[in-house]
Amino acid sequence: MNEVVGFLALVIPAMVPFVLAAQGTILSGRAGVFNVSQEGVMVLGASVGFLASFTLGGNTIGLLVAAAAGGLVGLILALATTALRMDQFVVGLALYFATLGLASLLYRVIVGVTLEPPLIELLETYPIPLLSDIPIVGEVLFDQDLVVYFAFALSFGLWWFMYRTSAGLRFRSVGENPKAADSLGVNVFRTRVWATVAGSALVAMGGAYLPMVYTGTFTEGMVAGRGWLVIALAFLGGWRPHYVVAGAAFFAGMDVLALRAQVADIAIPHQFVMMLPYVATLIVMIFAFRWARQPGFLGNNYDRESRLSG
Amino acid sequence: MTEAPRLQMTGIVKTFGPVRALNSVDFEVAPREVHGLLGGNGAGKTTLMNVLYGLYRADAGTIELDGAPVTVASPGDAIAARIGMVHQTFLQIEPYTVLENIVLGTKAARGERFDGPKARAEITELSERFGLEVDLDAVVEDLPVGVRQRVEILKALYRRSRVLILDEPTTNLAPQEVDALFASIRAMVDEDLSVILITHKIRETLGVCDRMTVMREGQRVATVTRAEATAESLAATMIGETPVTDPTDGEEVAAAVVATGLASADEVAAADAGAVSTAPVAVRVTGLRVDNDQRVEQLHGLDLELREGEVLGIAGVSGNGQVELAEAVSGVRPITGGSVRLGDRELAGAATSAWLGAGVVYVPEDRHRDGILPTSSITENLLLGSQRSTRVKSRGLIDWKAARQRAVDTISDFSIRANGPGALAGDLSGGNIQRVILARAFAHHPRFLVLHNPTRGLDLKSTEFVYEQVDAATREGACVLLLSEDLDEVITLSDRVAALYSGRLIGEWTRGQTDHYAIGRAMIGLEAQDV
Repeated sequence: MNEVVGFLALVIPAMVPFVLAAQGTILSGRAGVFNVSQEGVMVLGASVGFLASFTLGGNTIGLLVAAAAGGLVGLILALATTALRMDQFVVGLALYFATLGLASLLYRVIVGVTLEPPLIELLETYPIPLLSDIPIVGEVLFDQDLVVYFAFALSFGLWWFMYRTSAGLRFRSVGENPKAADSLGVNVFRTRVWATVAGSALVAMGGAYLPMVYTGTFTEGMVAGRGWLVIALAFLGGWRPHYVVAGAAFFAGMDVLALRAQVADIAIPHQFVMMLPYVATLIVMIFAFRWARQPGFLGNNYDRESRLSG
Repeated sequence: MTEAPRLQMTGIVKTFGPVRALNSVDFEVAPREVHGLLGGNGAGKTTLMNVLYGLYRADAGTIELDGAPVTVASPGDAIAARIGMVHQTFLQIEPYTVLENIVLGTKAARGERFDGPKARAEITELSERFGLEVDLDAVVEDLPVGVRQRVEILKALYRRSRVLILDEPTTNLAPQEVDALFASIRAMVDEDLSVILITHKIRETLGVCDRMTVMREGQRVATVTRAEATAESLAATMIGETPVTDPTDGEEVAAAVVATGLASADEVAAADAGAVSTAPVAVRVTGLRVDNDQRVEQLHGLDLELREGEVLGIAGVSGNGQVELAEAVSGVRPITGGSVRLGDRELAGAATSAWLGAGVVYVPEDRHRDGILPTSSITENLLLGSQRSTRVKSRGLIDWKAARQRAVDTISDFSIRANGPGALAGDLSGGNIQRVILARAFAHHPRFLVLHNPTRGLDLKSTEFVYEQVDAATREGACVLLLSEDLDEVITLSDRVAALYSGRLIGEWTRGQTDHYAIGRAMIGLEAQDV
């Protein structure tokens, strides 16, 4: 029993990078911008978040600076694909490589090469009064750090915004059929820009969380493919915030299991466990493609005059 | 009329690169008026309305509404100025419900949900007042075209439009639905709206419009009231010449006359009534079963027969199995049951090359997507399908010189307007693309020609050209299966007509015994029991 609770209590924080980055991916995707720079932006977020936290002191500042850096990358992606109508995939890949390099460069410039890696304080847990006293549930859900609560509140907020407000109805229409949205006076350009900036900021925060909860320092390989998994997660969750949380729980579970398999020398190779999220996504895409529908205009740029000739 | 005009557009100019699409156009609409905007393809009528709706930015000109100047730089401005537009291709969010599509982009009152009871009541009231019946909770992608059009109109009415633009609203409607639409339009005008009806169907225009403006080549040619206008005068103004090419050839006259909508097709067809072909049967389709893209069966055991030199017309509203029927009998779509025999040859299950070799030729509905390679040249497009023929091959390679010469000949034979054989097919106009496709089709010497909406979106001259080609093919003994949403076209060209409804052929009318309303009823399923 304790074993299970301990496992679940580890899964919850492991969900956070997935949840933040996947909600960011969905945010831009629902406006029609298909971002593929997540892996790089998460590494950049980890690096910048660590450095800001280390030099300025405080993980909150670290998270905010990381979000700002991610937002800037998002702004480049947004302007390149809306104002310049460049191919989203190509720009996204270019940004992946650029941010990956930038992350290491910044670390080298500011910290340099050291024998002892500099450390920041890990995030403290804030047990929520009363709720954390509930047996099992309280221990698993309500005895976590503030970013965990933020990630879940954000997910709920996004769901509520998209499906319960008229602003959300307008927002989703941009990713489904920008021409129709435009003809009803929705500003397609502006919607895409803010959604991509905010989305990329969330992706970077997902990266910044990693040094703050696990290692206390930045290493180049620490994102370890989570950025790519997040794209799969967006498809798996059918680009819906609430399903994405469920998918993140599964991905994080595999993550923790793979770690355990490595440490505890279980008979299953941890590479196999790490493969499972991808396999699961493929299976869902094959069998549930009707359910896992994606925004109708995902990945396409919109140009009012050229598509309305005649 | 001392009242200020509802809408006054003055000196509107719009250029696309070197092309002057609108050349200083003046356009005026009175309050409570249905105003027809007529013209052929490329006359500029849709462009003018896109300028009014803020989708295009005019290079020059002013717009006034009820005497006050307005700037319309985006559709948002147009909506704010209470201008509504129903586009030819509906601008709807397919996975949204009807209600969501209608309220999208409007502001709900503070504390009110976007799909709250207030919006619902208001839309229900509008739909009852104007006779636009819809189910507010249906998902739009599941609805037939006629209902989706009502959703579009409700969208504009919900935004309190005082000017409503309808772009070719009757294209996909059955005659009964057209009557209902026109009744709704009259109801709107009675409630102080002004309606602009973009169309190229003269007969309809005369039925519902108070005034008409005719455009040609980016200019306004004339504005007339219904009392002054006759169908003949409008047609002459529209095309700038007499529409009839050769008055001695009955078929061509019929084609030209019906294309302009001057006379009802029944009158023309009555001229050579009752001529039933006795030629040998060329194509026999029995028990044909076909699935759609979602693997749902669309045709459930369909039978049909075509005799040599005969045209069988299939009337119907799209989505009733037309695409599946056309693709199945031309070998493009797999057949799940039944047989298709050409002469004594069974083609069901055969490879596409066998169908081609047997003389089956298909002219698809979506010419841009299914008919051409848009980024390849005319030469290459004409070569498709005959790349193995010895005429264009030398020593195992394609003889590009011969292919090019063939393209040059075709361009002059079929009067294709293009900058030579190297022009990209995607850059041609719709009419010229259709000419390329027909030229390629006839190069295969068809025995069985399948035409799906062959003149959709084409102007008069290109339409006439297609009709001539159909005529030429049947004279050489080919039989033609014509699937078209244009009932007039089906009636004019066909020796026999049947309606396709829900994957079944309903009724059969031979030339001269056709009746618009009877076929119309069959098309929308009202006579399904009479099979």
